[in-house]
Amino acid sequence: MHLTKQLELFPDHRVTQMLFKDVKNAAELRQSAVKGQISGALINPKMLVNPFQVLVATNKSVHLQKTGKMKTRSLYSEIIFSLSPTNNISEAFKKFGISDGDDSVMVVLVHSRDESQLLSDIAAKVDGLQIPVEDVSLLSDLAKIKKLYKVTPQEEKCGTLLDAVVCRMATKDVM
Amino acid sequence: MAQEKSVAVSDFLSKAELIKQGAEARVYRSEFLGKSAIVKERFPKRYRHPVLDERLTHRRTVQEVRAILRCRRAGISTPVVYFVDYTSHCIFLEEIMGSLTVRDHIASIQQSDSCKEQELEHLAECVGHILAKMHDEDVIHGDLTTSNMLLRHGLEDGESSLVLIDFGLSYISALPEDKGVDLYVLEKAFLSTHPNTETLFDKLLKSYRASSKKSSAVIKKLDEVRLRGRKRSMVG
Ligand SMILES: Nc1ncnc2c1ncn2[C@@H]1O[C@H](COP(=O)(O)OP(=O)(O)OP(=O)(O)O)[C@@H](O)[C@H]1O
Ligand SMILES: [Mg+2]
Repeated sequence: MHLTKQLELFPDHRVTQMLFKDVKNAAELRQSAVKGQISGALINPKMLVNPFQVLVATNKSVHLQKTGKMKTRSLYSEIIFSLSPTNNISEAFKKFGISDGDDSVMVVLVHSRDESQLLSDIAAKVDGLQIPVEDVSLLSDLAKIKKLYKVTPQEEKCGTLLDAVVCRMATKDVM
Repeated sequence: MAQEKSVAVSDFLSKAELIKQGAEARVYRSEFLGKSAIVKERFPKRYRHPVLDERLTHRRTVQEVRAILRCRRAGISTPVVYFVDYTSHCIFLEEIMGSLTVRDHIASIQQSDSCKEQELEHLAECVGHILAKMHDEDVIHGDLTTSNMLLRHGLEDGESSLVLIDFGLSYISALPEDKGVDLYVLEKAFLSTHPNTETLFDKLLKSYRASSKKSSAVIKKLDEVRLRGRKRSMVG
């Protein structure tokens, strides 16, 4: 169900994504994250096209952490910020973080080797149904994504929506 | 501007496959986040002053990713940017799988007995059309050669099969002069790389002209630049 991927650039870092739908305690989860009781990034899956998008954001965030160049206070908030096409931090949280009324959530964890305890801890906190991470594309709000990332119709002719999104994320620092 | 270079990136590259060692950059192939990727690393040039060198290298990296995004927005195929490390000046790009440079493609067609004249003409027209589109976005490539254009495998015709790369010398300009010089650079490179292609290059220019409303001013500048080039070579 979950998806774990080692980062090639940071071989002692693994990224795990867990996806939940029919979530009933989004407000409570968000509170816990704010208080630092959840060591993970809670992302609104409607703004995700594909798990690869999360990998791109996480790789960039770990890199910025290692080089001392994060724009936010923690790795997990940096992941949320890295998903955004703009440099506005509060907007990034509004769009890509979860809101109290949400009924789905993507949890992103960065860890070293053994994650089984970590995963069951998170699963226990979420009052919802865990579904395969690949199914995130079923939850995507394509119209909203295209609008927020300002994807042009021409652009979709020379590549996928995922290509467009990832390209914006990777280059936003110099735009 | 001295800053810590990313150790992770240099460790990673030491295990990657080097596919091209150029004067300004090394190009590697490796897996990245589970995908096939190309990494372009601009390394320091020892003969330049370190501060100046750092600034120039940074600028090239920035220019490259900016032009890529600007082109993609306009529907011009360029590799997707996955990640940029501004501390070691590396760009991680989508690998255009099984691609061939336009240079190699033209050379192999010219060598085959049944020289497929039509195929070459079609390719030249595609190149002319794409460059007109790029110039209409005010992107000046800065290093147009047939090595800096790739053909996607299996799609040797059709415009979407043509992928522009190597934007390190690119910049934004609306001036016909800059666009004319861009074409002049290509003409020089094209005719010297591919012998006896004057008529083919004319086809390319004809297609460029037909594809952009602003082309006549550009072609006029191209003619002027050619004349200047000729005068310069006569003088010395
Ligand atoms: N995205 C890509 N997919 C597949 N092959 C690529 C890609 N990018 C580059 N290559 C290959 O690597 C070669 C060199 O790349 P590129 O032109 O970007 O570097 P370069 O010429 O060394 O750069 P510079 O001119 O800035 O020194 C290309 O001709 C092509 O064969
Ligand atoms: Mg090149």
